Amino acid sequence: MHAEVLSISGMKKAFGSNIVLDSVDLSLSQGTILGLVGRNGAGKSTLIKCALGLLHADEGEALIFGETCRQLSPKTKHRIGYVPQVFTGLGWMTVADLLKYTQPFYDHWNDAKVDTLVKDWGLDPHARVSTISEGEKQKLAIIQAMGHEPELFIFDEPVASLDPVARRTFIRELIELNVNDGRSMLFSTHITSDLERVAADVALLRNGVIEFDGGLEMLKDQVVRLHISSSNGLPEELNIPGAIRRTINESHAVVTVRNFNADLLAALEASLGADIRVEQLNLEEIFLELNR
Amino acid sequence: MDPGVALLFQIQPSIGTPIYRQIIDQVQRLVASGTLKPGDELPSIRDMARTFEVNQMTISKAYSLLEARGVLVRKRGKPMSIARTSPRPTSSEQRLDLLRPALMEAVKHARQLAITNDELLEELTKLLEADNAR
Repeated sequence: MHAEVLSISGMKKAFGSNIVLDSVDLSLSQGTILGLVGRNGAGKSTLIKCALGLLHADEGEALIFGETCRQLSPKTKHRIGYVPQVFTGLGWMTVADLLKYTQPFYDHWNDAKVDTLVKDWGLDPHARVSTISEGEKQKLAIIQAMGHEPELFIFDEPVASLDPVARRTFIRELIELNVNDGRSMLFSTHITSDLERVAADVALLRNGVIEFDGGLEMLKDQVVRLHISSSNGLPEELNIPGAIRRTINESHAVVTVRNFNADLLAALEASLGADIRVEQLNLEEIFLELNR
Repeated sequence: MDPGVALLFQIQPSIGTPIYRQIIDQVQRLVASGTLKPGDELPSIRDMARTFEVNQMTISKAYSLLEARGVLVRKRGKPMSIARTSPRPTSSEQRLDLLRPALMEAVKHARQLAITNDELLEELTKLLEADNAR
């Protein structure tokens, strides 16, 4: 359907004996927004750095616009906007200087866009970078990555230091870039409510392994909590396919399943003779259930 | 497009119900009540994505499923509109069927909170009156 802008295959990375990525496959099609979710230390930043060729993977490969990440051409680099988790700008420059300094690295730069963002996000162009807050540094890093109007954005925890108003402004900007210009994005975060708006696809990274990779809405359809009650009592051995957590007493059970569908519901109702209520979970609850 | 149509929707991205299902359910309710009539145009996918600040693919998925169910029809170069063949406004009994699950949920919550029938009915009356006054 769509061309793949990023494709990671069999990626492995260990630091000493600590395996951080264990054979990760992940891809991003043109025009899609993929949210990368995982706990602290799950390997999100390492995956992003390996995918960009900033870290050398022990095994596996990442292709960006068809080029190996180990040797990206300048032309391809210009098509990427990367916002790292830790801002490493030059502290002695002013906000305006830093942006002016960034511009010549690229063939193309949208001054008007950059000025608008600086204004909209309330940054003082004359403030020294070392004196602005963490949230403001994050905004600056995002603007710095947008000036050359890249086709692929890679954000590593871009909203961690932003307040709710700034986060929403950022989300609106991303949706606009995606709707208007068909920009593709990989977005790592543990703030799941932002992803519920902006991402169509999510990948859950856990202990270096992708636990789920697919549509966010599909994930919400599939991972649900079942409240099962039966006046006749429930069998002690309540075997439900795809169950990831259960609490049972004689007549009532609460079971989280990861592969829910209407057939499963009908089959359970028939076999248990029970009344089943389906509780839908938001992404945060799903994330917690899958990380137990 | 009538800009008012988008205002008929209430999208909550952070609840368990997927956004595409929220849209599908709401379009079906609005058609059942006759609020949306055959030929009425829905906002474009892009406008919906911008208005509600959600991913456009999610809106697209809802529209496609509604098209497959015969509720919406796609015309080249025009926004999606309510199909001529869409279900007619239904009787109040049928519309109550659509509301019943939400009411059942409220009843269960009331039981857990030990709220009496009278208290619940009184509260509901108050809410309805407040809504009428808006």
